[in-house]
Amino acid sequence: MTCHEFESAAASLNLSELSRSPDKPLLEHASECPQCGAWLQKQRMLAASLRTLQARTANLEAGPRVEAELLRKFRQAAVEVAQPESTFRFPAVGMRLTRFFEIGAYAAAAAAIIVALVLGPGLWRHRSSSESAQSRPASSSTVAAAPVTISAANDSTGKVTQPSPEMLAKSARRGPAVKRLPAAATTEDEIATSDSQANSEQDYTALMLCDPLSCSSDAQLVRMELPPSPAEGRDSPQLADVVVGYDGVVRAVRIVN
Amino acid sequence: MLTDRTDEQLLAEALAGDEDAFTALYRRRQGPVFRFALHMSGSPQIAEEVTQDVFIFLAQRGKDFDPSRAALGAYLFGVARNYVRRALGRNYTEATFTTPAEDETRSLLVESDPADGIQRDQVSSAVWKAVLSLPEHYREVVVLCDLQEQTYADAASALGCAIGTIRSRLHRAHEVLSRKLQHSVAAAPVIRNVAARCLS
Repeated sequence: MTCHEFESAAASLNLSELSRSPDKPLLEHASECPQCGAWLQKQRMLAASLRTLQARTANLEAGPRVEAELLRKFRQAAVEVAQPESTFRFPAVGMRLTRFFEIGAYAAAAAAIIVALVLGPGLWRHRSSSESAQSRPASSSTVAAAPVTISAANDSTGKVTQPSPEMLAKSARRGPAVKRLPAAATTEDEIATSDSQANSEQDYTALMLCDPLSCSSDAQLVRMELPPSPAEGRDSPQLADVVVGYDGVVRAVRIVN
Repeated sequence: MLTDRTDEQLLAEALAGDEDAFTALYRRRQGPVFRFALHMSGSPQIAEEVTQDVFIFLAQRGKDFDPSRAALGAYLFGVARNYVRRALGRNYTEATFTTPAEDETRSLLVESDPADGIQRDQVSSAVWKAVLSLPEHYREVVVLCDLQEQTYADAASALGCAIGTIRSRLHRAHEVLSRKLQHSVAAAPVIRNVAARCLS
């Protein structure tokens, strides 16, 4: 027997077969070949070592506590199986629904966060800019912002009356620096009464033709300082009141001095 | 008599709610499952946990067992292997990289002959340490084929691989194990004597 034949014959045997009763030709070759003999000896050592461990642990079993616990669970499961089918299904459906709502809640929260992140900064900027504009003193000598809310009025026929620059100016002059007039409370009669009391409203020059839709929104009166005009021979700056709609379009303007 | 019935018959009755059949099946099969988990993990606590989990699994999912594919014993080893893996993943550092605690091991190895016992203790501890230090895929074939004396076919069914794979893994595992035990033998000559006596 060659070493190669020995190897292939030994490979077909398991460890205990090798160590207990290998074939005679195998033993003969192992006694003749020192290399194969050493290998076989090593396998025998290993088999004996493993057998020692196997024998020492052969009688080990799980403790009685495990059996008691298992039987308790087995009985519990048997009781659950004996329950009517409907009671079994409700929790499952409930869990499925709960899971559905849970996923929905997560999705809604994620969408809300995304919307807040996208729109939040813009809204914050807009709000803070309008707040700062409102908080500016009206008597500022350079640029005085006096936001006054002026709205279009509805007449009794439901037709929208467009505010004229005079009306806008009158409102700006009459009210405090920050005064908002609710659109519903501004009637044509009120405006007409106010018109009769105002004198300088004729000073305003309309810069655009208001359409009912844009002019029905709030507007702001802003006092501006214009640079001196050498062509007119003026050295001091001029003040002007500008009526600006919230769409950013100037509705009317008036030179103060 | 419940003891006369086959594993499959007992399982069918247990799944139908027969507690006695379940108890009989447990008592028949828990020892090998416990020892497999013990040899794989080196921890009696993990072995007990795994044994319990395996039989709970059997009670709940036993209908999935197909007798035409494997014997129940091999099926249980396969389930136990998964639970052992899970338990070792939980206690990775303590179960994989360290050997079982000396006193823990000793408490398991009951002495019959005090004179011989110390040497056998040493052999068993050295072998167990060597087995536990094997990579998991080598360890499981050594435990199944050498310590649990499963056939290659049953081991292949339990591990879900080909017989040739079992054979080659076992061959390689024996080489590694021999090398490790050689070091142990050099450190403690008494191991060689005990092993040599086991041969005779």
